Amino acid sequence: QQTVTGKVSEEASNLPIPGVNIIVKGTTTGTATDFDGNYTLSVRNGDILEFSYLGYMSKDITYTGQGILNIKLMENASELDEVVVIGYGTVKKEDLTGAVDMVNADDFNEGPVLSPQQLISGKVAGVSVTSGGGAPGEGQNIIIRGQGSLSLERTPLYVIDGFPIDKGSVGGSRNPLNFINPNDIESMVVLKDASATAIYGSRAANGVILITTKKGKDTGFKFSLNSSTTISTPFNQVDVMSADQFSALINETGSAENIALLGNANTNWQDQIYTNAYGSDHSFSALGNAFGVPVRASIGYTDQDGILKNDNLSRTTGSLNIKPSLLDDHLKLDLNARGMYTENTFANRDAIGSAIDFDPTKPIYDANSKYGGYYSWIDPNTGNRPSLAPTNPVALIDLVDDTSEVRRLVANAKVDYNLHFFEDLTATVNIGIDKQNSHGRKLTSDLIPTADETWNGSKTSFTQEATNKLFDAYLTYQKEFEEVHNFTAVAGYSYQSFEFNNTSFDSEKEEDGLEFEFLDSSKSVLLSYFGRVNYSYNEKYLLTASLRADASSKLNPDDRWGYFPSVAAAWNIHKESFLENSALNELKLRVGYGEVGNVNGLNDYQFLTRYDGSQATAGYQFGNGYYQTYRPSPINENLRWEVGQTLNIGIDYAFLDRRISGSVNVYSKKTKDLISNSFIDPFTNFGNQIEANIGDMENKGIEFNLNLIPVRTEDFEWSLNYNIALNDNEITNLPDQQFVGGISGGTGNTVQTHIKGEAPFSFLVFEQVYDSNGRPIEGAYVDRNNDNVINEEDKYINHDPYADVIMGLSTNLSYKKWDLAVVTRANIGNYIYDNVASRAGTLNRAAENGILTNLHTDYYETGFQKFTDNGLLSDHYVKDASFFKIDNITLGYTLDQAFKNTTFRFYGSVQNVLIATDYDGLDPEVYGGIDNNFYPRPRTYVLGVNIDF
Amino acid sequence: CHDDLDQFPTDPDSFTEQDVFANIDEAKGALAKLYASLALTGQQGPAGQGDISGIDEGASQYTRLLFYLNELTTDHSVVGWGDAGVPDLHNLTWSSSNDFTEAMYYRLGQEVSFCNSFISNATNLTDPEAQTFIAEARFLRAYAYYNLIDLYANVPLTTIVSTELPLQSDSSELFSFVESELLEIQDLLADSNEYGRVDKVAAWALLSRLYLNSESFTGVDKYAECVTFSNNVIGSSYAIHSNYDDLFLADNNSNGAQNEFIFTANFDGVQSTTYGGTTFLIHASIGGTMDPFASGVNGGWQGLRTTKALVNKFDSSVTARNGNGNPISWSDNRAMFYTDGQAFEITTIANTFTDGYAVTKFKNINSDGSGANDSSGEFADTDIPLIRLAEIYLNYAEAAVRGGGGDLNTAVSLVNQLRARAYGNNSGNISISDLSLDFILNERSRELYWEGFRRTDLIRFNQFTTGSYLWPFKGGASQGKSVEAYRDLFPLPTNVILINPNLEQNPGY
Repeated sequence: QQTVTGKVSEEASNLPIPGVNIIVKGTTTGTATDFDGNYTLSVRNGDILEFSYLGYMSKDITYTGQGILNIKLMENASELDEVVVIGYGTVKKEDLTGAVDMVNADDFNEGPVLSPQQLISGKVAGVSVTSGGGAPGEGQNIIIRGQGSLSLERTPLYVIDGFPIDKGSVGGSRNPLNFINPNDIESMVVLKDASATAIYGSRAANGVILITTKKGKDTGFKFSLNSSTTISTPFNQVDVMSADQFSALINETGSAENIALLGNANTNWQDQIYTNAYGSDHSFSALGNAFGVPVRASIGYTDQDGILKNDNLSRTTGSLNIKPSLLDDHLKLDLNARGMYTENTFANRDAIGSAIDFDPTKPIYDANSKYGGYYSWIDPNTGNRPSLAPTNPVALIDLVDDTSEVRRLVANAKVDYNLHFFEDLTATVNIGIDKQNSHGRKLTSDLIPTADETWNGSKTSFTQEATNKLFDAYLTYQKEFEEVHNFTAVAGYSYQSFEFNNTSFDSEKEEDGLEFEFLDSSKSVLLSYFGRVNYSYNEKYLLTASLRADASSKLNPDDRWGYFPSVAAAWNIHKESFLENSALNELKLRVGYGEVGNVNGLNDYQFLTRYDGSQATAGYQFGNGYYQTYRPSPINENLRWEVGQTLNIGIDYAFLDRRISGSVNVYSKKTKDLISNSFIDPFTNFGNQIEANIGDMENKGIEFNLNLIPVRTEDFEWSLNYNIALNDNEITNLPDQQFVGGISGGTGNTVQTHIKGEAPFSFLVFEQVYDSNGRPIEGAYVDRNNDNVINEEDKYINHDPYADVIMGLSTNLSYKKWDLAVVTRANIGNYIYDNVASRAGTLNRAAENGILTNLHTDYYETGFQKFTDNGLLSDHYVKDASFFKIDNITLGYTLDQAFKNTTFRFYGSVQNVLIATDYDGLDPEVYGGIDNNFYPRPRTYVLGVNIDF
Repeated sequence: CHDDLDQFPTDPDSFTEQDVFANIDEAKGALAKLYASLALTGQQGPAGQGDISGIDEGASQYTRLLFYLNELTTDHSVVGWGDAGVPDLHNLTWSSSNDFTEAMYYRLGQEVSFCNSFISNATNLTDPEAQTFIAEARFLRAYAYYNLIDLYANVPLTTIVSTELPLQSDSSELFSFVESELLEIQDLLADSNEYGRVDKVAAWALLSRLYLNSESFTGVDKYAECVTFSNNVIGSSYAIHSNYDDLFLADNNSNGAQNEFIFTANFDGVQSTTYGGTTFLIHASIGGTMDPFASGVNGGWQGLRTTKALVNKFDSSVTARNGNGNPISWSDNRAMFYTDGQAFEITTIANTFTDGYAVTKFKNINSDGSGANDSSGEFADTDIPLIRLAEIYLNYAEAAVRGGGGDLNTAVSLVNQLRARAYGNNSGNISISDLSLDFILNERSRELYWEGFRRTDLIRFNQFTTGSYLWPFKGGASQGKSVEAYRDLFPLPTNVILINPNLEQNPGY
């Protein structure tokens, strides 16, 4: 018998693991590692030692006489044993019955990601993440399986550590999820089909994203420091004419008066408003056992400029998690607090449009200008800027000061009590509060070029507050009978309230005046009961059924309860004896059906008779006084839940040691009683539209997901993830046609429509007639109804903005200490209406109203002379914007044990590396499909280091 | 916690029925809305919290729509903007989903609902003044229905707000309703009222207008009644103001013009703002070499001009012509045209402000030359007379000539009062032999242009759609051409027909 000593540490981090059980197999002999991971044990040659620790893969080692035996344990990577959060509980991945995708921190997109949504962009089939533009921390639009509603919210519900948060953000905040530091996120789980989401009932119509943050662990203290610095560069501009092109045009086509207006400067206005932007991001976290309690704490600080001059976001985040276990682990507490403080300086985005419009032959500055030295057009009659002339873009940037501060605190306490005398039953209470407030102000200098003779500057300011409170209580019963029947049941109650209070002030002076005050506030309450049963037989046959009952204060008392059931079954085919010992690791067939509701985004109190008082600018004069007027609001006493019914059939597969795995899903979602702005007979109500349940919609699609590990050796691993989703969206019933998608150029024009038989937000345009050379003929459109008049009735549906096919392909390579990750995406069949070309591409605007205005180079393609509204709505401007993008390339190098127990990883990353598209606008990815005054997404270079110790 | 589902508005600007009709003072705010809905577009001037949706707020303001439908469709005006549906108005080619014909229907239908709701709620008020309020609400409802008859003819008649889909009525039923309402409330309205609110004279005046059009609305001639009620108005305390210019200036609520105004839509550049109303009329008619400050605003929207057909109505008073022989000055001071750099003939309407004379009738400056309330020059103070005494003079004259009785000498003297004001002396006066129907139609043009009468007048004279009178670009042809007779009425909105199966579209659409 010999004595062996050694140290057990974690494979990935090299940190020692205390408390690892080591036993000699077949005996009762054993020991456990100490706090530093060390152990000592008496063994014989040939003994098999089993090292095991919860959450890690066990290792069996045959003892061959070593004096020192150091062991590394891998975290339990067997995906099937992975526990997935599913809402009011967890389930082993193997036992899932719905269409659920989980992305762990390891697989997140790298680089300085300010917006958590971006972490999973391109990673999940059927989930499209589109930023609103290139500003730092910009809002993100996540759409799961296509458009789910017409006028209500179309984005998923976010649940953070069991707390469904309010997506509505306060004014002055760029993205409601910015309060979470992405470094604090452990995993994101996407619930896609209704059998998975129905437990969230009325809030889950557009899918659910469950975010689990990193928690305290019962280990020795570990620290992690992440730091990165970035430079973002603008790399594309809107194609407007250069000074030379523009001069040539005016000289050729303009009158003598117009030619005389040309300047002799050469100013690329877009160069003047965009610049390289710098940023840095630092975060520090510590986790471990403090005084017997698992704790994790983190702080983060980000400072990021935008490429539009004067744009900046600086954000400080902090989080604390405490997970004490009391009463012999019968009472478990999970306390989370998360705070954010952001200071925004918003660049004046008006400059984006005016940089397109402003005459490139004019200088930026003019020593004689009465407008603070900024060049401006001057109306000879008034001596001021002509009212229809664009404002000097640089003056717009420099002379407007727009800032806000946003604070947010999200805290929740979850208490699990495992009953002492009935251990199958656990009672859980989750209490949370989410409080946001913001203050903002916008000062416009008295020097800004304006047509207003008496302009004295202006100041607007606002204060907004939002509070969301949560109280959940539920019981979980879990029991295994006769080793084959596994039974879990959950039943509970949930209460949530949402309040906001907004105040804003306008003043026509630069100092803080309170000339006009606007108030807005509202409160809604959501109350729910829910239950779910999971049953599995012999781990082969799985059944889940759930029911949620929701009541919303937004609906009238007689009809405010909605009942949302779901049922799903799955069959783990690989567990059948006939497939034992095959190369198949997993083959699961899933079928699920569920219903979900939606009233998110519906205005409050619409079933009540209520009167809106007029603001100070809309009083009415009687005699010598002005009276506040009271207007009865449109009423709809019959508002009901919008209900989505989804059928999903899926297969999960894995074979060859899970080196090939993935899933296929086919779904059909029918949404009934779609709430939309519905026309009403004005003689029956107040107004001409009310939000009402009027339509039906259908989404159908197929999703396919493949994870591939072509190479996996000690030193070299290469993995690939590919996903593709096809989605088709159609409005199947809508009594009236609706016009949406307001565009600029003219007044009140729209380019999109909702109409039965077509996709929502389809483009509604005139069919351009082209000559034999393929050049559009000005003013010639196809008379589609053959009535010899070209009017609204000749417009037709020409594509829609949402992609028919979205794909993501990402790959990770690691070779020894090097790692490389590439993330790419493609969209096919997404169309854009190019509103920049349409409003700025006709010759007449180059010289009218006594000023010169730059043109979009689309003019060279069309030769259009005159702006008309029919021309504005020509299908010439609806363009295929299919694209392939390389979003991110990251190269990293890890330095193990540089110091004692310290690991460094250095990395360099490029974001927005490449865009391949036929679309000739700024960026083919414009959410909503109308490209105008788009804030360009920069290319960003990152250098960073992660230090774990 | 179930009780917590019963949430009530927390917004300090949101009120319940109990708040609004708690007492007569609060109810006055609800009454103010009935008037405001003909002037403003929503609860947050100039825009935001709009009363109707789906269309630009400013572009769907009542008097702006009245201008679009009753002036822009005629020889009085063209507009250079190409916004969807706008060029169709002067071209007389609008479709049944034209934004502006729809918006007017919505706004008037809504006004009827606002009034119906007010009338039923105010009935519970005990204060005696409530009866006056109710009579005013009935007047406003009658005014809305007068417009509905004029524009659409076949609309539902409702007197209560109910979600039940209403049945369609026709012009005769609607006419009888408006007539009987006005007859009933003439004694319930105040003898005289504060500025901005109507009194009994307004009921008489609207009856005068209604009866004048009775033949074209219903086929039944009621010129005698027109004479009677015109006489009532003429005998009232309202008086023709001495100076025509003053009627359309920023302080027309106080410069004396108010004595001629029987019913107004009120605006203020600070406290009562909209992108419609006079803000629209003034900005939109400025362009070319015009100085916007001369009209008291900060810039021109380069839209509205007039055709030579209107200018030619002033032929007999031309005092100067330019090198091309086109008139540039008139002794009739109602001819308020800006001619410098503006072509007399229109060759192009779209985006060519300099084709056609500009009109400077409405201005946002005070009669003493001082600036209006909005120092930025964005929003106008100038009120719009919806009914003014001069119209009633012309109604009397026309009804008398059409055989409604009355005295033709009185008619001539009434017309001459207007012409004497216009010329500043008696040089423009006419004699009884001049008083033909054609003369009266032309005189209405001269006196009332751009005030929302022209289409109705042309229809009464059977000249709107027919070939008997052509103007530039009538029917879309530069020399003008006739169009189908069904265009005498506007279509009901397609979307309303889809949701209310009781309604049938007007013929032709």
